[in-house]
Amino acid sequence: MSLFAVRPDSSDSGQLVLAAILAVAGAFLLLPRPRGRWVAGGIAALLVAAVVAGLWIHRHFGEPGADWVGKLLFILFACGAVVFGTVLVAQRNPARGAIAFAFVILSTCGLFLLLAAPFLMAATVIIYAGAIVVTFLFVLMLSAANGPTGENDRSREPLLGSLAGFAFAGLVLFALNQAHATSRADQPEALRKWHGLTPLPTPLITPDERHLLAQAAEDLKQLEADDFYPPTERTHQDRAATITRIEEALGDYSVGLRSAQIEGSTEYGSIHQRLGGFRVDRPADAVLKQTEAIRKDAARVLARVESAMLSPDTAVHDEAKAAVRKLRAEVLLLAGAGELPARNTAGLGHMLYSEHLLSIELAGTLLLVATIGAIAIAHKKGAAA
Amino acid sequence: MIGLWHYLAVAAILFGLGLVGFLTRRNLITMFLCAEMMLQGVAINFAAFARYHGNLTGQVFVLFILAVAACEAGIALALILVLYRRSKTLDVSAWQSLREVGVPPTIDLEPLPPPPEELADPVLPPAGRMPPSAKEAAHV
Repeated sequence: MSLFAVRPDSSDSGQLVLAAILAVAGAFLLLPRPRGRWVAGGIAALLVAAVVAGLWIHRHFGEPGADWVGKLLFILFACGAVVFGTVLVAQRNPARGAIAFAFVILSTCGLFLLLAAPFLMAATVIIYAGAIVVTFLFVLMLSAANGPTGENDRSREPLLGSLAGFAFAGLVLFALNQAHATSRADQPEALRKWHGLTPLPTPLITPDERHLLAQAAEDLKQLEADDFYPPTERTHQDRAATITRIEEALGDYSVGLRSAQIEGSTEYGSIHQRLGGFRVDRPADAVLKQTEAIRKDAARVLARVESAMLSPDTAVHDEAKAAVRKLRAEVLLLAGAGELPARNTAGLGHMLYSEHLLSIELAGTLLLVATIGAIAIAHKKGAAA
Repeated sequence: MIGLWHYLAVAAILFGLGLVGFLTRRNLITMFLCAEMMLQGVAINFAAFARYHGNLTGQVFVLFILAVAACEAGIALALILVLYRRSKTLDVSAWQSLREVGVPPTIDLEPLPPPPEELADPVLPPAGRMPPSAKEAAHV
């Protein structure tokens, strides 16, 4: 029985199983026990497991792209989170474990930042690293034991426990790969090359398209410059070449300027092909309308610029420039479609206090009840009186 | 290019690590921190999907996770304090008498290593006799 319509190639799931087994062995060797543990062996096994799993993830989920800085930061923060998480699990001294947990939180915050969530990053640093970890360090210091104790130097079922955890992680990775392959099979042929980003539903704008749109906006900027129009020393062929380049840029990737020129043909650009049959939600609809508008506007605006190039009248030039400016704004808007708003905190606040107002109230009530509960639980009888 | 799937994979690994820690460790506070690590894995999932879908609902979800985690930390701290007062240890196995009927008890067979010997306080040699000094000639 198959859960998914498409059965992906799972011939190398053995690699995932190998990684899980190595991780279980490493955790088993590293978890504290009274008779001492083999730290070097455990670390070596965990490292090999991490490398095997990383290679598997790399092969199935992504090709390296041009964004080296983002990739490097992601690898840094992801490795930081996993390494310090392992330290937290394997560390015998709970106070050091708490410090490692603080570093896990900081790495996670880096990932949040990469995911365009700066407010979440700040909130997490303040609440977790600033409040929770410090409070727990207090308790740890107050209850510090000297010498080996049962709670720090013994583990409960180290083999079965680590088997359960890593088997779970391996299964989730396996299921992710299945879903990934299925969503890839849903994509039109042109999008299959987006190996690394093929998503559950197809993205509104792929990074490639975004890049091309930004370039087209740069080219449009030239049309706004004064020296583009006569009387300057630029040759007419030069200007025509620029316009052709813009037409090609806007036509090639998606917006379908070129296909609009073919009479009676309903051939669309790639954005339309990708979104048309595959997404019916409101954002996709908006993007389709935007591309449609740009397609029409671009044909109109470029024709106007071409006629303005021939006339020496500066008023005509100014009109053409204004039209180009408007088109450029539209192109830039389309390039940013599907991105989170740049004003993250403002957007989050607006969302919280408009759509999730009741949840805010409930969360506040929960915090109040938790405060009262904590006081009631920890209260020593007769101590306050 | 780092995509949605990479974040989901990291989140799954973090969640699995937290699960291992929660199941195997016996210190109440370490167990709690491991549970928080699992929450962090889930939060990464939410933030990644928010980025992917281009709307902020996932981030709002993470904010509520933060609020609930803060409540949880307060209550857990109070509970741990009470349990520590009663049993003078942070070991969960001290509370295994609360287990279900029919479940065999966990008995620690391996003895713990002896505690490190405390260094004795430094002993100073007894002070010598007071050096003889010339009697102060006071002629008042």
